[in-house]
Amino acid sequence: MDVELLEIRDFLANYHPFALLPAGVLDRLPQKLKVRYFRRGVDFPPKNPDQPYLYILRRGAVELCNPSGDLVSKLAEGDLCAMDCQAAELGLKFTGTTVEDTLCYLLPCVELTRLRDEYPDFAAFFDHSQRDRLRKALNLVQTDQITSGGNLLTVNIRDFVTGRKVISIPPEASIREAARIMTESRVSSIFIMEGERLAGLVTDRDLRSRCIAAGLSFEEPVSHIMTANLHTIASGTLAFHALITMTRLNVHHLPVLEDGKVIGMLSTSDLVRFQSANSVYMVGDIRKARDLEALVALSSKITDLQVHLVQSGATTDQVGQAVSAVTDVITTRLLEMAEAELGPPPVPYAWMTAGSQARREQSSHSDQDNALLIADHMKPEDDVYFAALARYVNDGLNACGYVYCPGEVMASNPKWRQPLRIWRKYFNTWIEKPEPLALMHSSIFFDMRPIHDPAGMAEELQEYILDLCRANRIFIAYMVANALKHRPPLGFFRNFVLISGGEHDNTLDIKHRGIVPIIDLARVYALSTGQPAVNTLERLAQAAKSKAVSQEGADNLTDAFEFIGALRLRHQAEQLRQGRPADNYLSPDSLSRLERGHLKDAFGVINSLQDTLEQRYQAGRFG
Amino acid sequence: MVWPFTLEFRRRWYLRRVPPGPLADYLAAPFPDPATNYRQVDFLAVDLETTGLDSKKDHILSFGYLNLHGDHLDLASARHRLVHTKQAIPEASAVIHQITDDQAATGAPLEDVLTEFLIALKGKVLLAHHSLIEEAFIDLACRRLFGGPLLAPIVDTQAIALRHFQQRQIPFKGKDLRLHALGARYNLPRYGAHNALSDALAAGELFLAQAAHRDAGQGVPLREFLV
Repeated sequence: MDVELLEIRDFLANYHPFALLPAGVLDRLPQKLKVRYFRRGVDFPPKNPDQPYLYILRRGAVELCNPSGDLVSKLAEGDLCAMDCQAAELGLKFTGTTVEDTLCYLLPCVELTRLRDEYPDFAAFFDHSQRDRLRKALNLVQTDQITSGGNLLTVNIRDFVTGRKVISIPPEASIREAARIMTESRVSSIFIMEGERLAGLVTDRDLRSRCIAAGLSFEEPVSHIMTANLHTIASGTLAFHALITMTRLNVHHLPVLEDGKVIGMLSTSDLVRFQSANSVYMVGDIRKARDLEALVALSSKITDLQVHLVQSGATTDQVGQAVSAVTDVITTRLLEMAEAELGPPPVPYAWMTAGSQARREQSSHSDQDNALLIADHMKPEDDVYFAALARYVNDGLNACGYVYCPGEVMASNPKWRQPLRIWRKYFNTWIEKPEPLALMHSSIFFDMRPIHDPAGMAEELQEYILDLCRANRIFIAYMVANALKHRPPLGFFRNFVLISGGEHDNTLDIKHRGIVPIIDLARVYALSTGQPAVNTLERLAQAAKSKAVSQEGADNLTDAFEFIGALRLRHQAEQLRQGRPADNYLSPDSLSRLERGHLKDAFGVINSLQDTLEQRYQAGRFG
Repeated sequence: MVWPFTLEFRRRWYLRRVPPGPLADYLAAPFPDPATNYRQVDFLAVDLETTGLDSKKDHILSFGYLNLHGDHLDLASARHRLVHTKQAIPEASAVIHQITDDQAATGAPLEDVLTEFLIALKGKVLLAHHSLIEEAFIDLACRRLFGGPLLAPIVDTQAIALRHFQQRQIPFKGKDLRLHALGARYNLPRYGAHNALSDALAAGELFLAQAAHRDAGQGVPLREFLV
């Protein structure tokens, strides 16, 4: 190559996807280009070129509109217009206009095809399937973060238990016999097996508390002291998921099953060897915390936990699960402390959490959303107790960094501290007379989960709500309209976020423009088909099964949710590392070209599913 | 018939007089008709680096050129040729074009470079920014080496800009007529390296911009751009 075209080569090398080409190919690329200039205000790409081209913007700006005249994209330096090369693949034709004087490099489509055939990474950029692009992007973001070596995210729990013998005993054997085998085999737990079937588990602790301390004869059958109804885990589960499950259940042992057969026991110490700063440890400490001061000290480590998880390559879902699990335990501990101070409750109650914690999507130190469900037979004077309980927990959570909800969605607010029948009435009103404020409440309270509910009231309420929703198409149509309020941006233009209508924003509110729209979609899918799940990814999985959305749509949204979430977590981890408070505002220049491209794909996925939903319900309303 | 003293007349006249060789071969092709729409015309955007501004004393150090066909530049045709010179390069000019004595020593003889250039220019319009320099140096080289003058229809982007400023009565200073200053007016990229090819490219882009702004959709006859 003539060295003087180096500047054009270097320009291309700065931009995706040319950056993905080998150096030698990049060196020869400028010679294949033509240069054209377009005045402001002319059609773009030009009509009737001698052959179809890929247009690479070197200077200037172009607006692209869809056939109905809506702005869909705005191109600037380094952006590509491959419309003429991909007309057949895309089907859809956009019309474009230069909005500034524009200089372009033109690469003949035949050359582009040649490059796409030869370089798969480069080709991926032009894949018309946003789905494939997003999936690749997701892998990139995640592998980028994984540091090295043993990682809970890459290890199956099968790896922990293979090679170990399954130590078991039949249920009718004596306690003494069980203790003897455990001592001989040097294990702290033993499986109780009825033939091939797992009947229960006995641990060192059970021997101590249920036998010796209880004065039970050693000759009694071991089944008397075993824990039945065990939680188990499949051998193919990632170690990280096992960790989350153990944290959530607060257990230290989980039997591992393969094809329904017990193949071993997983203990927390197996996992701890892999990761030191983990949520299981934290949960143990939180449970033991004696006073609020101790809780506050422990909760300050949640930020570290989150940063650590992000660095070790956890997905958004995994981080959300872990942080929410810790918050659940803090809440539970606060309730225990409150009850210890105030005495037992006069009537049963359920402590409900709402919002991100309920969805198990919390990130460290988000604000608190909660409510109290009280048994219907409460007397008016009982509210003094519950008001004090609510105040205690709300204050405690605030002290632990879960600041008071600005919208007052907290149990200390009398409106959200009510007997079950009032809650039913609330939901009746919201569902049957949807109005803006009601819809705002709906989106908070339709993501609700009990933290402490000994009487099982929450489940009753949820069934009631789901029945009501399913039957009420108008309410769903309102929820749809509400879900469509947060539209994702169109993409990026220079260092701005491009919003529909052609306006620009300096920063991207990644929460309200990326994450919330997906949460809202998932909620509509769940409510319209009466699915009980609250977690967004679970809702999406259920929605695909119940045909509320196509499998591809659900998969795409899942990937988009993970990708946007990963960017958000990375952004926040960076802020937290610098000792700044975490926020949701991304500056476009903090994003690489590649990430911008993938974000645009993610926005595209959200947009198209929002459109689908809009069409379905508008058609339904008038049909 | 062809009027005396027109370019076409002179081409035929010299075609019969110069000795056989690269210049005679070059003159054998007719020049583009000034009435043709510029969109159908072949141009060669050219820039030279020289040791100074005086064509009688100074030397050509390098040629940079590429084809411009109507409304687009073709980068495949881009060429940059260093000219072999034994004469020391004055520091003042070396600072600008960054060609060192060592590099210049690796260049080809002027005769070879000029021959290749005339083949590229054959049948095209010569396009340059402030074309007097290019004309003077190439003309003298042709006379010395090939026994005849350089004849070519010429488009000078600086002259186009000057006419534009004057016609629209836009106030300007001398530095506003420089290649990069004019490029900035038309939102063109600024190339960092200052060498014959990047300047030829910049001049080519400037012409594309000037023509696009002149062109109301029907095209423009070549003669409106000629010097």
